[in-house]
Amino acid sequence: MAFIQGLFKTSVARKNIMAVTGLFTAFFLVIHLVGNLILILPDSFFPIEFWDNVASQHDMYNAYSHFLVHFWPISVVAWILYAGLAIHIIDALLITLTNWKAKGEKYVKSDNSTSTWYSRNMGILGIIIGIFIVVHMGQFWLKYKVLGTEHDLYDLVVGTFKQTWVVVFYEIGIIALGFHLAHGITSAHRSLGIHPKSIMNVIKYIGLCFAVVMAVLYGIIPLIIYFNN
Amino acid sequence: MKITLKIWRQDSPKSKGKLETFHLDGVEDDMSFLEMLDMLNEQLATEGKRTVEFDHDCREGICGQCSLVINGQAHGHESHYTTCQTHMRSFKDGQTIFIEPFRAKAFPVIRDLKVDRSSMDRIIQAGGYISAFTGMAPEANSIPIHHNISESAFDSAACIGCGACIATCKNSSAALFMSAKVAHLAKLPQGQVERKERIAWMVNAHDEEGFGSCTHTGACAMVCPQEVELLDIARMNYEYNRALCSTN
Amino acid sequence: MALNAKIPEGPLKDKWQNFLDKTNIVNPANRKKIDIIVVGSGLSGGGAAATLAELGYNVKNFYFQDSARRAHSVAAQGGVNAAKNYKNDGDTIYRMFYDTIKGGDYRSREANVYRMAQLSVDLIDHMTAQGVPFGREYSGYLSNRSFGGVLVSRTFYARGQTGQQLLMATYQALMKQVKAGNLTEYRRHEVLDYVIVDGKARGVIVRDLITGKIERHSAHAVVLGTGGFGKIFYLSTLAMNSNGSATWRAHKKGAYFANPSWTQIHPTALPQAGEHQSKLTLMSESLRNDGRIWVPKKKDDQRLPGDIPSEDRDYYLERRYPAFGNLVPRDVASRAAKERMDAGHGVGSLKNAVYLDFKTAIGIHGKDTIKERYGNLFTMYKKITGIDAYKEPMKISPAAHFSMGGLWVDYELGTSIPGLYAVGEANFADHGANRLGANSLLQASVDGNFVLPNTISNYLSNEIRTGKIATDSPEFEEAEKAVKNQLKKLLAIKGTVPVDQIHRRLGKIMFKEVAMSRNEKGMKWAIDEIKKLRKEFWEHVAIPGDDQGSNSELEKAGRLADYLEIAELMTVDALDRKESCGAHFREEYQTEDGEAVRDDKNYMYSAAWEWQGGKDWKLHKEHLVFNDIEVKTRSYK
Repeated sequence: MAFIQGLFKTSVARKNIMAVTGLFTAFFLVIHLVGNLILILPDSFFPIEFWDNVASQHDMYNAYSHFLVHFWPISVVAWILYAGLAIHIIDALLITLTNWKAKGEKYVKSDNSTSTWYSRNMGILGIIIGIFIVVHMGQFWLKYKVLGTEHDLYDLVVGTFKQTWVVVFYEIGIIALGFHLAHGITSAHRSLGIHPKSIMNVIKYIGLCFAVVMAVLYGIIPLIIYFNN
Repeated sequence: MKITLKIWRQDSPKSKGKLETFHLDGVEDDMSFLEMLDMLNEQLATEGKRTVEFDHDCREGICGQCSLVINGQAHGHESHYTTCQTHMRSFKDGQTIFIEPFRAKAFPVIRDLKVDRSSMDRIIQAGGYISAFTGMAPEANSIPIHHNISESAFDSAACIGCGACIATCKNSSAALFMSAKVAHLAKLPQGQVERKERIAWMVNAHDEEGFGSCTHTGACAMVCPQEVELLDIARMNYEYNRALCSTN
Repeated sequence: MALNAKIPEGPLKDKWQNFLDKTNIVNPANRKKIDIIVVGSGLSGGGAAATLAELGYNVKNFYFQDSARRAHSVAAQGGVNAAKNYKNDGDTIYRMFYDTIKGGDYRSREANVYRMAQLSVDLIDHMTAQGVPFGREYSGYLSNRSFGGVLVSRTFYARGQTGQQLLMATYQALMKQVKAGNLTEYRRHEVLDYVIVDGKARGVIVRDLITGKIERHSAHAVVLGTGGFGKIFYLSTLAMNSNGSATWRAHKKGAYFANPSWTQIHPTALPQAGEHQSKLTLMSESLRNDGRIWVPKKKDDQRLPGDIPSEDRDYYLERRYPAFGNLVPRDVASRAAKERMDAGHGVGSLKNAVYLDFKTAIGIHGKDTIKERYGNLFTMYKKITGIDAYKEPMKISPAAHFSMGGLWVDYELGTSIPGLYAVGEANFADHGANRLGANSLLQASVDGNFVLPNTISNYLSNEIRTGKIATDSPEFEEAEKAVKNQLKKLLAIKGTVPVDQIHRRLGKIMFKEVAMSRNEKGMKWAIDEIKKLRKEFWEHVAIPGDDQGSNSELEKAGRLADYLEIAELMTVDALDRKESCGAHFREEYQTEDGEAVRDDKNYMYSAAWEWQGGKDWKLHKEHLVFNDIEVKTRSYK
């Protein structure tokens, strides 16, 4: 069918791919957050009596990470996620290149008041997030899962977040993520073709809330660890 | 009032352009922006200098021929105005005004502020129509269309094809322009038969003309003189995906 | 050459059918061998081009704008008439025919008008099928509104942008034909002359407005859908680039020009705000449904409109025409406004406007209802004037609008040059001495889509053996040389008076003496002034730059040169017609209370003028015969 080539090649199709991969990654953020919220549970929460092994935050977090590494379906999903991210990035590069080519001469005097700065700079926000992901994975995923040099992830995490530069770096990354989501969630739904006005108004609101909630919750984890004792 | 103009001058599509500065005295509040340019051109003509070329025609906001990026904004700073509707009363005495042509790879400059927007017509040529030869139409009332659907189709059909959306878009995407036509025809029962081919052909033509991808910054809808909605772009994407999924 | 209107035999209602039954048509296989040049891309030109291309002819479409979608049909607001009788209010094709003839003050050709009314029905079907979002009832069926000068609701509309929507449908059909390869577009090309070979129109000389190149194009027939010349008044509701050159240059090649002086002056445009003004924006006539028109009783009343109590206001239309009040036809309303302004009661800084007040209507219906009815017009008013018309009255003023006159055409829309056709506002047909609201979109669309494609085949059926027309004949040579010489002559003037300045002065002369009310003395003065101005133009006009590439001043100058000639013919025509009819009001021919006096005995004709090489014109009269309608005096008292 003649339209099949349109699945990848056209400007609209490429935005579709951005949307699908972006939304999938955003969904992962929720799962990732739920696990890591253990890090900010107060001490008074423990021991959890109906769960025999969990005497402290330390045990609970390590049990969670042990589960992630040893439950095989999770690995499958993880590889899909990596692939999705990679496609998201490659596709973004392709789109950006086309868009650069489409541009005429630059305006001598420009005025950008008709749109938000973060909607115009998704690429830059994306690059910041990309660097963040590389560092983040190097710090934990690589050491804990791939190389296996670290066995107590909880100690590793808490130790890492005692360094000031790490906290600052994480906060920057997470703020970038927040803005990326603030535009990305709504934009992705538009790309996929959600067009009834009433639904789109709700999605706009949800997208913004999602971005704020993600940024705030992710953002407080390093801060709480850093300032704790 | 007195104003300073910095106007893009470029002799031909291939030559290099630059801003030229003019000082204009005696500009009145009631003048439209284009009448202010008329005034400048009359001065230049009297002095035997080549006048500033710019596109304009109806001067009442409907033909879509006037363009211009004024102080960095397509059709000037008032949202949903065309350049011909912009009046000098919204500028200040002594102000410096930058006037540049609509910019996009698909809009080559012809001379000064005139650009070639035929790329937009070629998107319409690809499929922005309902094939109904003269004389073959059924009785008009044989196709009842709900009032709201008809009105909503009108909202999209109102596009005047000025190209401000493209000039404003940081990606030089013609998504809003194209989607206005796609949405207009997709909303109406008459447009159903060619729906699938239309979207495929138009999107292909859009890309071939060298327009960019839409990243939904929304700037286009902010400058659109006819207030075509960003939702039309979503509608267009829906049409595209619908065509992809359809089996026949 | 004597005028032959070629009206088909038979009763009025069968004429078009009789014509179709007997006309010659071209074998589809032969159509590709036939080239047709269509000038203009609006409802008439664009409609004709698209339909002819659909039929399989080889069409070349020329227009000066940057896209076919810019044609000035786009600016028509109100609607398009059709005798569908959806309202069951007694509308018939005959009634529509009757209203149009009466509105035109019995100065149009019966057979043409009847055909227009007949085809109006098909037009709505055609436009709806192409996706025009006409206004609809909640039941989903098409809605109608009423318009001035008629007793039924037969106007179809698409908000206040009906012209735009019809044009989009036409433009889209045109674009489809471009892609299909049946039609070649020549955008930003201006037709500067015609080539007549052996008495037949065989081609055009055009200037590419981007490169400045002069090109020759040949065809078996040439169709003009180039609109009206109301821009001659400089201040008008027309687009800046609308012009009379295409028709005028055809006239100078032998096409007769009919009733040139009949220009409709629209009563509800925005007034001129200053010397610099270039354009008078039209506000839809529908505003008069709820707005009341008045001026202060006292001359030079300096009070704000809100401070003038109602006993100091003169609602002059309600006073003079108690039956129709604010809803009198356009010519009557314009004239009444001019009378008040001339008497010193005009308002605004230039004393050139009257008030259109919605206070009473807002009081009765509430602001919301008024907003729903006219919201877009109030917004437009605010965009242009900066004034909120919900709070204070609008200021409105009459402005030149539509040319009822144009190239003389027969029933087949052929001009007096064989092979040269004129459609839409470019021809003189259908509207008589005054056009009814919502009939212009109709005439343009019907001419282009339905009439011309059927009538032109009658001519083209004799052309199938002609073969390609060569462009290297002496006729082409000569026409190109003439065009080049004129451009050279214009550029050689190197004067100091800008083109627009002369155009403005011409507009003033014309608006003063050859517009809403005319008299012999004034018009004789006007002719002298026009001649003086023409002389000044050819000696002192300032055209900087050259003819290599885009040069707006050169384009405008060429058009103004033609206007300076058209102006004279308009005046000559108005002087000749010693009666008052429709838009043509001669002060010498009026009743004691200032109403028009028509002279059916001596002036029941269309005046077709023949160019005599620049010295005077020769008048040919097409006598109008009314068999199916009783000729009466219009009264709106």
